[in-house]
Amino acid sequence: MASRKEGTGSTATSSSSTAGAAGKGKGKGGSGDSAVKQVQIDGLVVLKIIKHYQEEGQGTEVVQGVLLGLVVEDRLEITNCFPFPQHTEDDADFDEVQYQMEMMRSLRHVNIDHLHVGWYQSTYYGSFVTRALLDSQFSYQHAIEESVVLIYDPIKTAQGSLSLKAYRLTPKLMEVCKEKDFSPEALKKANITFEYMFEEVPIVIKNSHLINVLMWELEKKSAVADKHELLSLASSIFTLHFSNHLGKNLQLLMDRVDEMSQDIVKYNTYMRNTSKQQQQKHQYQQRRQQENMQRQSRGEPPLPEEDLSKLFKPPQPPARMDSLLIAGQINTYCQNIKEFTAQNLGKLFMAQALQEYNN
Amino acid sequence: MSRFFTTGSDSESESSLSGEELVTKPVGGNYGKQPLLLSEDEEDTKRVVRSAKDKRFEELTNLIRTIRNAMKIRDVTKCLEEFELLGKAYGKAKSIVDKEGVPRFYIRILADLEDYLNELWEDKEGKQTALASRFLKKAPTTDEDKKAAEKKREDKAKKKHDRKSKRLDEEEEDNEGGEWERVRGGVPLVKEKPKMFAKGTEITHAVVIKKLNEILQARGKKGTDRAAQIELLQLLVQIAAENNLGEGVIVKIKFNIIASLYDYNPNLATYMKPEMWGKCLDCINELMDILFANPNIFVGENILEESENLHNADQPLRVRGCILTLVERMDEEFTKIMQNTDPHSQEYVEHLKDEAQVCAIIERVQRYLEEKGTTEEVCRIYLLRILHTYYKFDYKAHQRQLTPPEGSSKSEQDQAENEGEDSAVLMERLCKYIYAKDRTDRIRTCAILCHIYHHALHSRWYQARDLMLMSHLQDNIQHADPPVQILYNRTMVQLGICAFRQGLTKDAHNALLDIQSSGRAKELLGQGLLLRSLQERNQEQEKVERRRQVPFHLHINLELLECVYLVSAMLLEIPYMAAHESDARRRMISKQFHHQLRVGERQPLLGPPESMREHVVAASKAMKMGDWKTCHSFIINEKMNGKVWDLFPEADKVRTMLVRKIQEESLRTYLFTYSSVYDSISMETLSDMFELDLPTVHSIISKMIINEELMASLDQPTQTVVMHRTEPTAQQNLALQLAEKLGSLVENNERVFDHKQGTYGGYFRDQKDGYRKNEGYMRRGGYRQQQSQTAY
Repeated sequence: MASRKEGTGSTATSSSSTAGAAGKGKGKGGSGDSAVKQVQIDGLVVLKIIKHYQEEGQGTEVVQGVLLGLVVEDRLEITNCFPFPQHTEDDADFDEVQYQMEMMRSLRHVNIDHLHVGWYQSTYYGSFVTRALLDSQFSYQHAIEESVVLIYDPIKTAQGSLSLKAYRLTPKLMEVCKEKDFSPEALKKANITFEYMFEEVPIVIKNSHLINVLMWELEKKSAVADKHELLSLASSIFTLHFSNHLGKNLQLLMDRVDEMSQDIVKYNTYMRNTSKQQQQKHQYQQRRQQENMQRQSRGEPPLPEEDLSKLFKPPQPPARMDSLLIAGQINTYCQNIKEFTAQNLGKLFMAQALQEYNN
Repeated sequence: MSRFFTTGSDSESESSLSGEELVTKPVGGNYGKQPLLLSEDEEDTKRVVRSAKDKRFEELTNLIRTIRNAMKIRDVTKCLEEFELLGKAYGKAKSIVDKEGVPRFYIRILADLEDYLNELWEDKEGKQTALASRFLKKAPTTDEDKKAAEKKREDKAKKKHDRKSKRLDEEEEDNEGGEWERVRGGVPLVKEKPKMFAKGTEITHAVVIKKLNEILQARGKKGTDRAAQIELLQLLVQIAAENNLGEGVIVKIKFNIIASLYDYNPNLATYMKPEMWGKCLDCINELMDILFANPNIFVGENILEESENLHNADQPLRVRGCILTLVERMDEEFTKIMQNTDPHSQEYVEHLKDEAQVCAIIERVQRYLEEKGTTEEVCRIYLLRILHTYYKFDYKAHQRQLTPPEGSSKSEQDQAENEGEDSAVLMERLCKYIYAKDRTDRIRTCAILCHIYHHALHSRWYQARDLMLMSHLQDNIQHADPPVQILYNRTMVQLGICAFRQGLTKDAHNALLDIQSSGRAKELLGQGLLLRSLQERNQEQEKVERRRQVPFHLHINLELLECVYLVSAMLLEIPYMAAHESDARRRMISKQFHHQLRVGERQPLLGPPESMREHVVAASKAMKMGDWKTCHSFIINEKMNGKVWDLFPEADKVRTMLVRKIQEESLRTYLFTYSSVYDSISMETLSDMFELDLPTVHSIISKMIINEELMASLDQPTQTVVMHRTEPTAQQNLALQLAEKLGSLVENNERVFDHKQGTYGGYFRDQKDGYRKNEGYMRRGGYRQQQSQTAY
């Protein structure tokens, strides 16, 4: 898989994350017939995104920005980015498009890539599979085919592993979104399930040689005791994050499950209504037929045909997109939890083994 | 004027008017009918030929003539009627008027009318003679009409004035003066009225009563000088007394004096002036004196005017009038006075002193009615008595019960109460009578509520609660009228506060919940209007609401109320929160309390508490940590004493109770919060920590163990609590919840599947599936089956 470790990143963090991201991307990455096979991100962009979140994002609030770059062969190179300004109530008439255009023009003047290739967004415990994200990514992809969305998870990053993932909508989903028909039938026809809504594009972080040289130099100078790291990581997970992170994830997962339940109940009611109506319709038709038979036997003309669809208006089918999104979100949560617990279990076993060995 | 002046009487002008109408109608109608009319009525042909203009103007002049006639004889009713017709006729003649211009005579009559009216008014107001009233007596019903008419006329006249002001300058003859002389001649005797009777008239019952009726007829009419009327009546009493006309007449007149005193203010919202009020009280007292002195006088509202017996001494005297109504009205007036006085002024205190007098009068009437009145009347007067008793704390009885001296704060009405009788006994007696005899629901409801209130006020919690439960008022109070509802709310609040004093926090909380949770306690207790809803109601509603307000001396301290509520909520909520820390289905006991907590958390910088709420919030925080000493110091300190606790009659008792409650609940909270870090804990340590004696600690912990709130067991020999540590951790809890949710999700999902498969498949699977053996699922499965059966 295409995760070349171009960037000998300042710490082990970036490399580990790329590996993780790439590993997951493997399953779906290739399925798209889009020209872009991988995303190459400049180190600068990563740092800028992180900085943006550090400065403006807090808690559940997300930060967003524009990615700039260009397509080279089958790679999408992201070379720069700039943030969207934070919304405040007092400047409601702020023109975002105007701002973006202005920004891009200015960047062009200083000879920076000014092509719009996507956008980035921070996330809170991996809760990014939302309608808003779907809609805006759809409009991006509609306008610029190769655009992607970079999801940056600051919480995971704070734990020590950079989490940055590139997503785009699958062509199937694009088609469905274009038609704006989210009825159960349409989704069934399009054969879309939550797994095939977003596809992850493998990420490569690339730095210029000059920076790499600087890194090497810095690494020599830095006095990081790398032996320490494993244990401290483990302990930090147990004391600080174990209760918090897992709990949060579970909580969020539970919320989604609740939503899912409600959605299903809604769908259930719909199903019941339709079947009831079908029955009524059937009865009506039968009665009609009988009457016509009688009339015929009496030599009267049969009753005129009536528009059945007017008599029985089919109930409005609930939009299924939301439940798909929820399912997708649940999926991400489960992945998160699985990943997290797997790592911790490993560490636990390791600690146990160590202890036994010491004894 | 003289041109139109014909000596037409009322009836004549009326008939001419009707004739006029008959004539004009066909003409005013459509012209299509004319031929028919022509053929039908030969005589009228002449008239029909005349031009439309002439016709209209003649109509107008005819009307004007009648108006002038009416003006001369001062028949305002007639005048008004004609004027209205004139207005209509003018409207009909509009097209012609537009063509020809406004006819002069029309403007003239308008101007004349205006002058005439102005004069009439000035005359009345300026001279203050009884002329106007005399005049009014003649035409009693015109009062309202005249007012309306005057307005109308003025409007019209103004319109015309504007349009044709120039022409009006040449205003002509004003022979009102001459007219005036004549009318005055027709109204004799008026001037002498203050002297009542002509000299030498023999004053007999008949004369006095005639006079009385004469005066009374002016009552309630516009322009009647009410003060003068009262004076006249008083003069009449004097005359009657001087001439020894007997008590019956005097009683009769007195009744009327009081009634006119009440009538003095035309508006329901305004209250009596102090001097009037004093007069009223005196008068009622005098009346009562007479009634007590003369037991042979019968008073009743059902005695007809005709069957009154005012002077025949052989038979018992019968006078129409109801003393009870008068007293009730007096009570209302008193409430109104109190409502309209600034409660923080000396004036209010002065007025409040009258309460003793009011009570005394009520008591006298009560005694009177107990002898003479019907049960209904007795019930009503009893209720009145109850309403003046229930809210007063009986310090004497209290002191008699317990020897410790009490700091009295509001015992100024004590002397009004029965010296020998405790108010409790009194209330009991009065209320029981009402319970037994009353047939109107309202009086009984009020009596019960007052009774409960009185019990609660005197800390007889169980009696109060039982009475409340027995009355079933909670179920149907929403059907009662607002004043009763306010009384109910007051009672509930008092009940809650009583429960709190007894240390029954849960009951206190429940009783106060309804009032406090709405956030409109002030409004619900009738102690003030909320500014918020000002725009929602119009002035009329506001007036009504204002009238419902409870006078200040009956108020329940809102801060005390809120504090009691919050403290009891704290005592309930904090241990509950500690016990259900990680329970997803945890619900709040008190929303308001949580709101206060959140407000406290939102503060960026937390200084030492200032207000009562901040004190409670700070105390709650301390309690959450199991720190009862800090909690105690926040709840009971100088500030809180001054603001809240000292308002209780037995403040020290309440404080002791509160400290103990805080200790107990803090202990519980401590155990809930920190049990996970203990393997075992010595009860002695706990008893030291919370300064509770060992048996109490033992009992609290035992209770917790029995209720399965605390997973532990007691080790008797060592006096320790051994924790079982079976409580699930936060993660485990979450996982359990998640599993539950997923279960229901699967359930729902399968229902969808059932639809696709039909019931048969669902039924089949139900039997087969192994995991359905689980009891909970079985139960739900059964439910599901039922439902699916009904669905198809």
